[in-house]
Order: sequence, then C-alpha cells, then structure tokens
Amino acid sequence: MQIPNPDNTRQLELWHSYQRAKGKNGWLTLVQNIRNYSYFIRQLVRISFLKEFKRSYLGLLWLFILPIISAIIWILLNGAGIIKPGDTSISYPAYVLLSTSIWGFFVEIYKNTSNTFLAGGKMKLLARFPYEAFIVEKVIVHILRFVIPFVINIIVLLLFGVRFSWVALLFPLTLIPLLILGLSIGLVVSIFRVLLDDVAIFIDQAMGFLMFLTPVVYAPDIQIGFLSQLIHLNPLTYLVGFSRDVLIKGTFYEPGLWSICVLLTFIFFVITVRIFMIAEPRVIERLIK
Amino acid sequence: MVEKKLILSVRNLYKKFSRDLKYNLYYGVRDIFFDIMGSNQQRTGLRPKEFWSINDISLDLFAGDILGIVGTNGSGKTTLMRIIAGIYYPEAGTIHKLPKKKVTAVFVLGAGLRPLFTGRENIYIEGAMYGMSKQEIESKMTFIEEFSELRDQLDRPLGNYSSGMRARLAYAIALATEPDIFIIDEALAVGDSLFQTKCFEHLKQYVQQPEKAVLFVSNHIRKVLKIANRVLVMNSGQIIYESTDVKAALNFYINNCLQDLDEDIRQVKLKKVKNYNL
Repeated sequence: MQIPNPDNTRQLELWHSYQRAKGKNGWLTLVQNIRNYSYFIRQLVRISFLKEFKRSYLGLLWLFILPIISAIIWILLNGAGIIKPGDTSISYPAYVLLSTSIWGFFVEIYKNTSNTFLAGGKMKLLARFPYEAFIVEKVIVHILRFVIPFVINIIVLLLFGVRFSWVALLFPLTLIPLLILGLSIGLVVSIFRVLLDDVAIFIDQAMGFLMFLTPVVYAPDIQIGFLSQLIHLNPLTYLVGFSRDVLIKGTFYEPGLWSICVLLTFIFFVITVRIFMIAEPRVIERLIK
Repeated sequence: MVEKKLILSVRNLYKKFSRDLKYNLYYGVRDIFFDIMGSNQQRTGLRPKEFWSINDISLDLFAGDILGIVGTNGSGKTTLMRIIAGIYYPEAGTIHKLPKKKVTAVFVLGAGLRPLFTGRENIYIEGAMYGMSKQEIESKMTFIEEFSELRDQLDRPLGNYSSGMRARLAYAIALATEPDIFIIDEALAVGDSLFQTKCFEHLKQYVQQPEKAVLFVSNHIRKVLKIANRVLVMNSGQIIYESTDVKAALNFYINNCLQDLDEDIRQVKLKKVKNYNL
C-alpha cells in the first residue's frame, strides 16, 4: 500500500465517521441543511403535487375543483333545510364541518410524516442529502392541501350567512400547536414504521380512537360516563377546542390549560426531533428497497 | 515519480449488517435506544446473525487516480461506496478528505429517476438532490443535453426511455455536479458501447484536472482494464489485493475470487487480461 506523505495527510478533514454521525445533528445544522437544500425541497413539493395529476388534463385545477364540488353538495344539503343559516350560534353541520377539518389538519400531518421513510423511495440510497428535506416537504404540502379547501369552505359559510368574529383571524396561529404535535408523533412513529411496525400499526389505530375522545363531532361538555374524564385529560380537547372556538365563537376555550398543552407540545417536539435525527442513519440502512 | 496528492483517506472502516430481517430490525431498535441514552461505546463485536459487510478497510485515493474496485457479488463494494458517498454510516473507522471536495456517486441504472416526468424535469429533480441550485442546474443544461446525447428526447417522459438512455441521463447529471471524487458503481454497465467509450475517454481527461479522482466499481474485466490505473480486489468485506499493475490485480481476482467458475471460462478471462493492450 502506498504510504501517504504526512504533510499531505494533515490537509485532510474528517468527512465521515460513526462519532460524526452522532455529533452532526445540532439544531443549527438542521436549519443550515434546510436552507442549503431549499431548491431540493421545492422540487419535492412540486413533484408531490404534479405526480398525482400527471395523467389528467385539468391537472392542478383538481385541487380547487374537488373542494368546490363538496361545497356544492353542502349547499344542496343546505337547501334541503339541514343547515339553518343566520342563527346566533353556528349550526350543527357547520360545527362538524369546521371541527373535522381542524381534526383532519392534525391527523393528516401525522399520517404523512409517519410514512416518510417508506414513501421516501430509493432516493436516500443515491446521494448524501439531509433527510429533513422530506419532512419539510411533507409539512409544506400538508399546509397547501389544507388551505385550499378550507378557504373555499369558509367562503361558502360566509355566503350562507355564517358570521365570524375578528378573533377568527387568529385561527391560523392556533393551528401551529396542532401541526407541531401531529408532526412530533409522526416523526417517532416513522421510525417504528420501519423497525417495529407493530407499534406503528397500534398507534395508527389509537389515533382513530383518539378522535372519539376529542370533542370533534360532539360538544366538549358532553356527558358520557367515565369517557368524560378521559376527554378532560386529553390535551387534544384543549388544542382542538381552542382552535375551533377562536374560529366559530371568537372566544378562547380554557386558555390556561391550552397554554400548558402548547408548552408541552413544543417540549415534546424538541425531544422528538432530536430522537429522529439520532435514529435516522440507523433507519436508513434498514430500508430494504 | 512525481508524488501524487492525497485527496481521500479511509482508515479501518467497519460496517456490519444482519442476515436476518427480524434480527436486523431488533438491533436497530436497540441501537437507537442506546444512541438516545448517549452511550458512546462502539459496538465492534458481532451479535448473532450479523456479519461484516466491510471488515477493516483502509484505502487512499490520490489525485488523478481512476481506482478500479473489483469483487464478486456481495463482497461489499457497493456498501463501501455508499459509506464513502456519505449515505451509510460506518460502525467504526474514519474517512478524511480534502476540504470542500465534492463527492458524487452514481449507482446502477439511474434508479431514482421518475418515469412520469420528462427527462428535463428529472434533471432538475436529480440535480437538486445532489445539492445543486436552480442556476447551477440551468447553467449545466447544455452540457447534460450534449453529453447524454438525448437532446430532443429530453422532453419525452422518462418512462419511455430505454435502460441505456436512462443510464446516460443519470450519468450526465452526476457528471454535471463537477465531482472531485466521482464514484461510478456499475453505472456504465448498460448503454451502448460507443457511449461507454466516450465516457472512458472523458474520464481519463477529467482526472487530469487538479485534485480529481474516480472510484470505478465494476465486475467487467475489460472495462476495468480499459480505464483503471490502480485496482483493489475485494472479498468478504476486505481488500485482499491492491496493485497499480492492473493486469496483475485482475489475474489475482480471476484466480482467487472466481473459483466457482468453469476452468475454461476462467482461462478465457485470463487470456483476455493477458492479451489486452494497455
């Protein structure tokens, strides 16, 4: 073997090692990675929207057409007298419509991120790029996919005489904790999805059940025996309830408990991002594609 | 002889994998748990059902090198390339390189290209994956068009490309990143021989630039003969032979690694090496 000149060796810098894998994952690196790969993230977002409609003529227009169709169905239901506009308090169907879309906002980001490794495809085995790019892409796609139908829904509600207070303008901000919580759970479950699918399957089921423990299709003060206790222990009761009341009533639902839940959500997020970054290399080498 | 400049140095590299899927996943959960707990011990021993995919490999890459890496299937060539490219993490050992040198790897058949998108759209996607900006990709567009010889066909969906065309596109995109350390892992195994010859000529020119080198992984003896100026022979995760005498290394490879092969076929291969005019 050729022995390199020691002077020559000294010019080299460490590029890759086991210790480096563990040490590289600071928050600063995370932000830098996202900035350096912003064009890659844009491409991923683009692909994600385009690939779905590649075989259609209308293409991205479907993103608008589909919610308009469901709005029309909603209007027809309204004509049938199921919805009573102009009431002082919002009607039950409108309540459920808004409530479920808030819940959907939480649960969809969970679903998307928890599948990130399996959906990421072969790309990660081709080049060295930060895996976080896929997560950022998921978040951007998720927000865009939520905003379009949501805005259309709101317009329809306004046309039908539902009135919102100015406090409702705070609504987008109240979605942030829900996004962060769904994302955090998704990050942890994405690891299990590859290494220990049993846990992932179990949590998927639990998320379905969780919807019934959260006042989404019923009001928070419902009396259903011991389940009422669970509802009050469920942080999502406060996170979803706060968002919904801001939007519908222009009031703040349990602001004290909500603030505690928000704080805990952010702490949970910091921990799960760290876990995700530590686990990522071990997960990637176990992706059999 | 003029002393060559060292640009990449691999020392005592180890990587292990598990033969059994369930064990592999279980070890994954365990390792992650210990990583999170902050345990710093390097687990260099083997646990049940594990094997060394890379077992104590050290190598140096010098400027101007086209280092051929040969070995039977499963000898750890691709794993080694993935570690050098920064995709897999080693269990132990280090890789040093000259600062700011770009490592680009291109693997078999242009995997990762998207069939529903056109060739041109794929250039943007892959280029971005390699970390290029929009401007960089656009400034390289003509080069990719010319080098891949696809030109008008670039606006057709990639799904309609032949495997050779895909390989040409993937290769041209990787080349457009202007790698300093260029890893070619069987990426030239498909495609027509004219294109391959062009690539070989281009690579020979390419490494003449200062501080550039190529790692060329192939099982194809004639290709290695054509291009490499140094050869490593890998077997079971170890480098068992290394030489700047390409013919000697290939002889060693044929005699020691291809024992399952019929004697006649081996003789044919040996003759090929012997008669090849470097």
